[in-house]
Amino acid sequence: MELRLGPLGRSEWLLPRVGRMRVPGRIYADPETIAQLKEGEKGEWSALRQVANVAALPGIVSAAIALPDVHPGYGFPIGGVAAFDMKEGVAVVGGVGFDINCGVRLISTTLTRSEIDGEIERIGSELYRNVPAGLGSKGKLKLSVKEIDKVLIDGAVYAVNRGYGFDEDLSYIEERGRMTGADPAAVSDLAKRRQFEQVGTLGAGNHYVEIQYVERVHDHEAAVAYGLEEGMVVVSIHTGSRALGHQIGQDYLKEMATASERYGIEIPERELVCAPIESPEGRRYLSAVAAGANCAFANRQVIAHLVRTAFARVFGLNADEVRTVYDIGHNNVKVEVHTVDGEGRELLVHRKGSTRAFGPGRPESPPDYRAVGHPVLVGGTMGTASYVLRGTELGMEKTFGSGIHGAGRALSRKKAAKRFWGETVISELADAGIRVWAHSRRGAAEEAPAAYKDIERVVGAAVDAGINAVVARLRPLAVIKG
Amino acid sequence: MGYEYLDHPGDVGIRAWGETLEEAFLDAGRAVFALMADPENVAPAARREVRVEAQTLDGLLVEWIAALLAEKDLSGLIFSDFEVSIEGERTGYRLTGAALGEPPDPKRHRIGTEVKGISYLGLAVREADRGWIVEFIADV
Repeated sequence: MELRLGPLGRSEWLLPRVGRMRVPGRIYADPETIAQLKEGEKGEWSALRQVANVAALPGIVSAAIALPDVHPGYGFPIGGVAAFDMKEGVAVVGGVGFDINCGVRLISTTLTRSEIDGEIERIGSELYRNVPAGLGSKGKLKLSVKEIDKVLIDGAVYAVNRGYGFDEDLSYIEERGRMTGADPAAVSDLAKRRQFEQVGTLGAGNHYVEIQYVERVHDHEAAVAYGLEEGMVVVSIHTGSRALGHQIGQDYLKEMATASERYGIEIPERELVCAPIESPEGRRYLSAVAAGANCAFANRQVIAHLVRTAFARVFGLNADEVRTVYDIGHNNVKVEVHTVDGEGRELLVHRKGSTRAFGPGRPESPPDYRAVGHPVLVGGTMGTASYVLRGTELGMEKTFGSGIHGAGRALSRKKAAKRFWGETVISELADAGIRVWAHSRRGAAEEAPAAYKDIERVVGAAVDAGINAVVARLRPLAVIKG
Repeated sequence: MGYEYLDHPGDVGIRAWGETLEEAFLDAGRAVFALMADPENVAPAARREVRVEAQTLDGLLVEWIAALLAEKDLSGLIFSDFEVSIEGERTGYRLTGAALGEPPDPKRHRIGTEVKGISYLGLAVREADRGWIVEFIADV
C-alpha cells in the first residue's frame, strides 16, 4: 500500500484514503517535516503509516490528524489527533500513550528578568534541592497505598486539600485539575504501589522545571488576559503521571488486546488495541485514563507549590505573587462537543503528543480566558524558546481544537549521547546564559538542544496553517533536569 | 552473551543475545539497567524474586522487562545482576528469576536515564545460528 501525500496549502497536506483507511489523513507541517515523513515511510517505523493506521480504526470522524511536531510513536504518531463517534467509535490505548496526561504547568511571578539576574544560582539550587527529581526520588507528599485512590479521584484538588497550593490554582488547570469519571478500581494495585511514594516527583528524561522570562508578546489581548508581559519571570514544569501512567498503559495493552479480539476489530499495529467506547472494556479504560490524568494533575500541583515555596524563600514573594497561568496535558482522551458538517456532535478526542487548543468562546476555558481561548503551552529544549499559543476558530474546524506540544526529537538518544558530552552541553548553555542543574550528566547529553527539531519551524507551521496563534515567546534562564 | 543499543528516533532500541534463551533474557535486563546506572558499581546486595508468564516468547520478554521496572519502583533498588530460568508450559512460557542490586547512589553510580517501560513495537525473540537474539524498545 503506497501512501501519497498531496498539498492542500503551504503547511497542510492530505493523505488520501487507500486500503483500509475509513477517512483520509490530514497533516499540518512544514515542507522539511513532510520530506522527513516521506523518507520515513521507507523505514520500519513510519509516522505516515501510523496516520493511515489510525484512519482505519472504527468510528473515526473526519480525518486522522497529525500536527507540525509529528514523529513516529507507538500506535498513534506523536503529534496525533483522532476523534471518534461515541456509538461507532473506539477508545485506543496508543491514542493516549504511556505517560497519561503528561503536560506543562506555566507559573508567572511578579519578578522581572533584571531582578533575578544575580540570583539565578540561589533560586536554581533551591529548586534543585527541593523538587524531587531523578532516579529513585520520592515525593514530599506522604501517602499510604490506600490514600493514592484519593489522588486518582480528586487530582490537583487533593494536593490543594493537603496544603500544596490554593483554590485559585485549580481555576487555571484544565478540567479544574480533576477529571470526572476516574475509577481507582480500574487501576491495578501494582500501578498504585509503584506510584504512591512518587507523587510530586519530576522524573527524568525530557521532564524539567525551567525558569524563563517572557521575551516577546505577540498577542497583547491574550497576553493581558493570561497576565503575561514582556520581561516577566515565569516557570514551566513538564512532567506527567510517572510510573502509574506507565503501568496503566502496560496493563491495558493486554486487556484491550483481548477486547479487540472479542469485538472483532482488526488491529494494524499492536499498540492500537482498542475497544468500543460504550463497551465495558472501553469504559473501564477511559476511567483508568481519567485516574492516571488526575495523578499527573496532582504531580504538577505539588511541584508547582514547591516552586512557589522556593520563590517565597529566595525572593520573599507572597503566595499570590506566584500564580498558575495554566496547566495543560498533551497525552489524553476526552469527550468533547465539536461541529462536524454544521452539526454539533459529542466525540471522543484522543490527543497523543498534542494539547487541547480551544479557540474563543468555549465553556471549558477559565472564565477570564474565554474571550481569547485558553493558553496552549509548548515546551522547547534546554537551550531554545518555549511558546505560549492559543487556539483559533480555524483550529476548531480543522483539528478538533488541538495544538502542538513541543519540538520533537531530531536525533536519537544514542546519537545524542555519542555526539555530545553532558558537561560540554551544560557549559555551552552556561555561555549562552542558561544555567543547568542536572541529576544525570548522560541525561543532559541526550537532551542537548541540538538533538531536537527547531521549535521555530514547528510553531511557524502551526501558525501558517492557522490552527494555533502565538501569544508569547519564552526564553530559558535556568533548567532543572531529572 | 552481550547487548547493544540500536539507533531509535525517540527512545532506545536494545538488542541482546546469548547461547541460550535465558542468557539473552538476562542480558536484556542488564541492557535496560545499564541505561539507568553504571552496572560495574552497582553491588548485587539485595535480591528480588521475579516470576512472569506469557503465551508467547515475545510476550514473556515484555513481562520480564516490565516486571523488572515495576520491581525497581517497589523496592527502590537498581539492579546489576539477574537470574533467569524459562520453562515451556502447555499454554505458554514461565520465567522464574531474580534481580540483584542496591539503592541508587548518585555519588557512586553514574546515573543515566530512567527507563519507564517497554514497547511492543519492534519486539522480537528469535533463534539464530548460535543461540538466541532478543530485540525491543525501551521507553525512556
